[in-house]
Parts: sequence; C-alpha cells; structure tokens
Amino acid sequence: MAEVRFEAASRIYPGSETPAVDELNLDIADGELLVLVGPSGSGKSTALRMLAGLEFIDKGSVYINDKDVTLSPPQDRDIAMVFQNYALYPQMTVASNMGFALKQAGVPKDERRKRVEEAARILDLEPYLDRKPKNLSGGQRQRVAMGRAIVRSPQVFLMDEPLSNLDAKLRVQTRTELADLQARLGVTTVYVTHDQVEAMTMGHRVAVLDHGKLQQVARPRDLYSKPMNRFVAGFIGSPAMNIIDVERHDGVLQLAGQPVPVEMSTADALASTDGSSFGLGVRPEHLALIGDGGSGIAGEVTVVEELGSEAFVHVATEHQGERLTLVVRDEGETSTQRGDNVQVGFNGPTHIFGPDGERVGS
Amino acid sequence: MSLYYSFTKWTVTPPTPRTWTGIGNYTDAFTNIFFRRAAVTSIVMTVTAVVLSVLLGTLIALLLDRKFFGQGFVRTLILTPFLIMPVVAGLVWKNQMFSAAFGVLNWVLNQVGIESIEFATKYPRWAIVGVLVWQWTPFMMLIILAGLQGQSSSVLEAAKVDGASPRATFFQITLPHLRPYIELGVLLGSIYLIQVFDHIFVMTGGGPQSTNIPLFVYQRSIGGGWRFGSASAFSIVVVVATIILATFGLRVLSGLLEGEEA
Repeated sequence: MAEVRFEAASRIYPGSETPAVDELNLDIADGELLVLVGPSGSGKSTALRMLAGLEFIDKGSVYINDKDVTLSPPQDRDIAMVFQNYALYPQMTVASNMGFALKQAGVPKDERRKRVEEAARILDLEPYLDRKPKNLSGGQRQRVAMGRAIVRSPQVFLMDEPLSNLDAKLRVQTRTELADLQARLGVTTVYVTHDQVEAMTMGHRVAVLDHGKLQQVARPRDLYSKPMNRFVAGFIGSPAMNIIDVERHDGVLQLAGQPVPVEMSTADALASTDGSSFGLGVRPEHLALIGDGGSGIAGEVTVVEELGSEAFVHVATEHQGERLTLVVRDEGETSTQRGDNVQVGFNGPTHIFGPDGERVGS
Repeated sequence: MSLYYSFTKWTVTPPTPRTWTGIGNYTDAFTNIFFRRAAVTSIVMTVTAVVLSVLLGTLIALLLDRKFFGQGFVRTLILTPFLIMPVVAGLVWKNQMFSAAFGVLNWVLNQVGIESIEFATKYPRWAIVGVLVWQWTPFMMLIILAGLQGQSSSVLEAAKVDGASPRATFFQITLPHLRPYIELGVLLGSIYLIQVFDHIFVMTGGGPQSTNIPLFVYQRSIGGGWRFGSASAFSIVVVVATIILATFGLRVLSGLLEGEEA
C-alpha cells in the first residue's frame, strides 16, 4: 500500500527550452485511482514515466510512501506498469510473460507458477497460459499486460493509456472491469489517458494537465461543475462547453445582446475585477431552446445531432458583430430542424472566467 | 552439362576420349584424401569465419544501436570492408597488413619487441579466416542492427520496470528477439563463404592448410589438373550441399516473416 507524492517535479527534455512537465505538485492517496488526463503533449505520459523511473527528473522530487525515489532506478521503486502497446515479451508464453518479474526477483519456480495461475484466474487467462502473445486477441493481450502487473503485487500500478488500442465496445467493457479490479485489489493506481470520458468514469480524482502544467485536480463531479480555468472547462465534457468571449456593458456581461445570469457572489467578484473582456462558459445542457414569444438569443439552426436519448442543436447567432455557434442540448425526439429560427435561453449555471482565464465564479 | 561430365572420365591433356564411368567420380570424391582435406578446410573456414563475424557483428551492432555524435559516419566506415572486392581485400591484407617486410601488423609487433611473423605463410588458414571475418562482420552487423532497431523500446522499458538487469534483458529478451536475424546472417554467410575462392587464390594460392573445395576444383580443372570429369563431380557435391543449406535457410526466412505478423 502506498502514497505517491510529486513535489515540484519537472522534466526538461534535452534541447528543449520549455519543460515537458513543469513543477508538478500532486498527492495521491493510498488505494486511490488517480487519472492524469490532457491532450497530446500535455506531459501526462512524461509525468507517469517520471514516477516509473523511465524519465529523468530534472528538478523537484518524487516520493513513494515518503521515500524519496527521485534518483532510484525503476526496479527499486516496486511499481508495475502497463504500456499502451502492452510491451509483452514476444518470444515468451503468457505464463512466462507474467512470471518474468518474479523470476528476476528470484522467486522460486513453484511459487511463481502459483501466483501466475492466481492472476490468470482473476483475469480469465487460464486457457491461454501456454500461448505466445502473437496468438492472442487485442483484449487478451491487454489482460496479459494487466496480469504481468498484478502478479507482482506492487506498491503502485502505472497505466499508460492501456485501453487506447482496443475497439470502442471492448474499451468501455474493459474500463469497467479495470476500475472494479483496482477497487478489489486496492492498489494505488496512476492512470494516464487522453480520453476525458475514461478519466471521468474511472478516476477517484482526475488531474488535468496542459503544456506540462497541472490545471486542476479534483473529483470528476467537481471538475465538471467547477472548472478552475478555461482550459479545464473546454476539455472536460462531451460535447464541449460553449466558451465565448463576452464584454461587460454597464456592469453586466452580455451574450448576443442578452444579459448573462450570474450568482450574487460572482457579480461581486466581477465588480472588483478590472477589464471588460471575460470568458463565458455554458454547457449545452444549461442552454435551452425556448418557444416563440420568449426573449432569448435569436438564431438559426445549422445542425441537429440526434443521439437517441438526447439531441444537440447547433444554433448560429451573431455576437459582437461576428458569427457564433452555440451548442444546445434538446430532448431526444426533438422536432427542431435545420433552418429553423429559434430562441436560446439560459437554463442552468454559467461559468465566468477572468481575462487571465481563471475562474471568477458561476 | 556439368552433371553429364561428372559421370565421365575426361582428361584434356593429353587429349583422351571421354569415357563413361558412372558414379566412379563420386565415390572417388569421398575417398580422395585431397578432396576430403579441402572439404575439412572449407567447413572449418566457413564455420569459424561465420561464428566470429556474427559475434563481432553483434557486439558492434549493440554499440552502434545508441545515439552518438557522428553516428552515420561511423556506420559508413564500419560498413566499408563489406563493399571492397574480395580480390582487393585479399591483396591488401596480404601485402599491407600481413607481409613480414611491409605489413602494418608486423610493424606493430616489432614496436613491442616481437619479431616479424609471415602470417599468410605460417598460418594460412587463420590468416584467410581473419580477412573473411574482417569482410563479413559489417554484413552481420547490418542485419543484427536492423533487428535491434526493430525491437520495441517499450519492451525494454517493461523489462526495466520488471527489475531485469541489463544482462538478463539481453539474454532473455534481446537475444531471443535477434535469433531469426542471426539465423539469417549465419545462413547467408555460410552460403557465400563456402564458395570463397578469391581470397585464398591471391593470398596463398592454396596449400594443405588453405585449399578449400572451390580452389581444389579449380586446381583439378582449368588450374592445371585438366580432369574435368572428377572436377565436375566435386563441384556438383558442393552444389548439392549448398542447396541443402539454402532450403534450410529459406525456412528460416519464412519463419522470420511469420514473426513480423505479431
């Protein structure tokens, strides 16, 4: 059982000026499943590899169980890693793959066999123990990679996009199995993904990275309802939040000529903030199409995406002299069609970001 | 044509009529002491040259499989021996490296107080093997380097995380991965080296220690023996042996392609 701590840990690749991971501070509790999420180049994989010992830590430190492992080689960290391409040893059977780490640690053959069989039972791999990786399906290979990690009963599991090579259906299924397995084993896990749905569904907490900097770390629900800056707001949620530059007129933020509703505390905070240009974020489900006669933002429907349980309507309107498309959630059996003239109104919380992109309030 | 001649007795000087002898030339091949000696030389030369060049080639490939300044230049330099014509290589080594009077090797030996050794005369077989290794190491290196670069870096990282020492990683993961590449190198090297002629011809011109089968066949026929019937039979024996080797080799090759599908 282990806690993991990053203390201002940085990685600067040789020949690069900007750090790939910039002073990362992160505390991961014992037994927690923490997801690192971000777009390509955000430094999430690098952060994981720093924890694994596969990447040099230029500044700061990394602790596992209060032990400084900044300079320890991977084999001294008692970690197990699942790679994106699984990195199975191609010439070895499934059983040898899973027992490899134990063999290196000098575990006697009988016990090795026992532990491999136990892990194989958990993962339904028993019939395949004598096969070579190339004779397995993608999902089976993924499970072997998992098996290789759990056989060792390590302090920490590190997973680098372990599901990204699976097809969509299998990915969803494996996602659930993985989260369940992690909860049963109770091993501290750091999980890297670029898929925000995976992050939200699996993580106890989610850390969002961009350009090597930690943007926010919070429970999925908080991340969704209280994004701390424009980047997180735009990254979390599918379809993405509408984020619009708005200006303040007479103390009130305006979207396409309509006042934007904000909470009292936010209004106070706005009053004490300089500048006239702000960011307004509003999720598609917090906008609604309102019938004729209502006073909303007038626009024309350009696209209707029907997903069955819900529909997303793209409404083109004019805001500050430019064309703007708002995405509005509507009911599944919507009668709205392309070309309709509609009115859009606010139907829930908004998110206001200051000129620096940081959250002001909702 | 050769096949037909191999069943005849045919001597050109003095001109005698060609007569049918059946498999006489073939039984002769296996009883003839000179042919047997040549066969042993062929095998010993081929095996030692192939084994040594594979070992050296692997070593150099491992060294070159990392990033360093001037990588491309060094690789090109190392490859050059393979690009040199066999006759030229033989002559260069005979006159500029091994020679007792002008050779670089002997100059070095003299510097440390050892008397000159006429390598090509005293140790003809090993002198030739040395040149063959020098020429074939780059080839082996090239094949093995290709194998090394085809190895996924995350597999090596996984081994690191799994606690494998560099030694264990090499013997348990890298070497098994390289196996088909090494087999390919051994096969191609063997097929080629069993037919080596030029090096021996220019360096020693043959002799008890260095006459291999191709040189022996040459001596038997146009090289002065003029006994085309038995020379044909000997060369057919070599061709058959090479075909067996090549068939074996094609299996290895197809095994290599199968492995790629993983």
